Amino acid sequence: MKPRLPLVELVLCALCLWAAWYHTPAGALVRTAGAWVFRTHTTARPLLAYYGAGTLVPPPEHALPLPGPVPPAQALAYGAFAVRADLGSPPAIASRLRSLAQTLHSEDAAALALFCGEETAHYAMEHAGSQPHLIDLARALPPSKTCVSQAAQALMLGGAYALAWPLPESVRITSPFGMREHPLLGGRRLHAGVDLGVMKGAPVRAVADGIVRRASSDGVNGRILVVDHGGGVVTSYCHNDELLVGDGDHVRRGQMIARSGNTGRSTGPHLHYQLDLGGEPVDPLRFRAQRPKTAVGASD
Amino acid sequence: MELRVTERVSKIRWIFLPLGMCALVAVGTHAAADVVGDKVLFAVDRVDAFFDAIFSSWSVTAPLVDLVGLGERTFFARAVALAWELSADALLAIPLLGYDERAAADELTIARVLVKRRPSLRLVQPAAALLVSIAGAAAVARLLQGTLLHYPLIGGFVAATALFGLFLLLAPRAVFRSLEHASAQKTAIGLLGLAILGPLAIAAVASL
Repeated sequence: MKPRLPLVELVLCALCLWAAWYHTPAGALVRTAGAWVFRTHTTARPLLAYYGAGTLVPPPEHALPLPGPVPPAQALAYGAFAVRADLGSPPAIASRLRSLAQTLHSEDAAALALFCGEETAHYAMEHAGSQPHLIDLARALPPSKTCVSQAAQALMLGGAYALAWPLPESVRITSPFGMREHPLLGGRRLHAGVDLGVMKGAPVRAVADGIVRRASSDGVNGRILVVDHGGGVVTSYCHNDELLVGDGDHVRRGQMIARSGNTGRSTGPHLHYQLDLGGEPVDPLRFRAQRPKTAVGASD
Repeated sequence: MELRVTERVSKIRWIFLPLGMCALVAVGTHAAADVVGDKVLFAVDRVDAFFDAIFSSWSVTAPLVDLVGLGERTFFARAVALAWELSADALLAIPLLGYDERAAADELTIARVLVKRRPSLRLVQPAAALLVSIAGAAAVARLLQGTLLHYPLIGGFVAATALFGLFLLLAPRAVFRSLEHASAQKTAIGLLGLAILGPLAIAAVASL
């Protein structure tokens, strides 16, 4: 039998092997097993890190302490500054981001350009369709680009800095974020959000645009809403009396999404507001210059 | 000289062709599983809400509600996508290592005979191999072009050539080998294949 184009086939097979070896979890599994057998070092990432084109990142250990309120137009700049302080001052980064966003017609692409360079961002925009999110842009690039993770973290923190508050600023915090003695179950546990003491029926508003990922009810969280704002920013609103939106609904910043209440495991009427970044609960007050006052009151 | 290189390369085709096809399908299944992962997260949220409603009914099981947070749900969704991808690799990519090359005309004749065999459930695997191979070829081309993004002309040419070459030289063989392998399987594996490969094949199209 006469072989067909053996050299071309060899090159094509080598390309496939390169792609599978370095860019799939199966390849990472083989590399890790090989390194374990031969007792050598491997550069393979954890298996689950091969999903989401490098945009699924945890929040940075520390967030920038805010000197005052963050202007909404500079939220992303503050996020970028918190990831890489050598980029310049937040106002300077904001000005650069504005000019990049004008050229690239996308805030996500501007963040990508800031960390990976304009040429890379232009290339990603050409291959990712109109109005793409960072994940679409990242899928057009080789997955080994670490700058994509930095852009993802900047967008995540920028999203957190830009969040509004679900209740009027005058509402007091009855239980802050952090380790505490549980008021009902006893024992020290992490309180993954902040409790805001508010009367039953008060309007609860979405802190940013997003999609309702969960609108359900259970005996612990009561009537609960989970809203995905994109870029790894997710907020939860628990113990509501009434939910005004359903699964999959698009919500706008400031839209009334629920009425607060006393459902689930709770000592009285209040709203449990939780912020998750990259799947980890963080203190929402870390991203606010204005801190609500604290008071003794209902909690969960 | 050139002839000698070609001859030498021809002698090792039996090893690099199956490996290359296996890698092509593995890249395609990963591209598809990445798309599936996002959908799995929504399903995991629904399942978690369902169990939260049940567990919160009794004080003994209520603490279990707090056990699974958003981080755990995201981790679990990605783990499901990974398990899905590795299962698809086992069903689709690994059997390609058994590829035994024949003349193109012979392969075509055998394929025609195998396609007519019943049950038609056997066609799930080769159909999935076709879609996943296309997704794999597109992913390899995208990686090449992305790697050469600073040289757009060269990058575009190399990516287009690779896409064309993979589609013409490797994908048909992967489909043929899948058809051959599926024909030798029991129907039960065909049903399992349908459950695992069906959604992944659709996701492979979505990844393009």
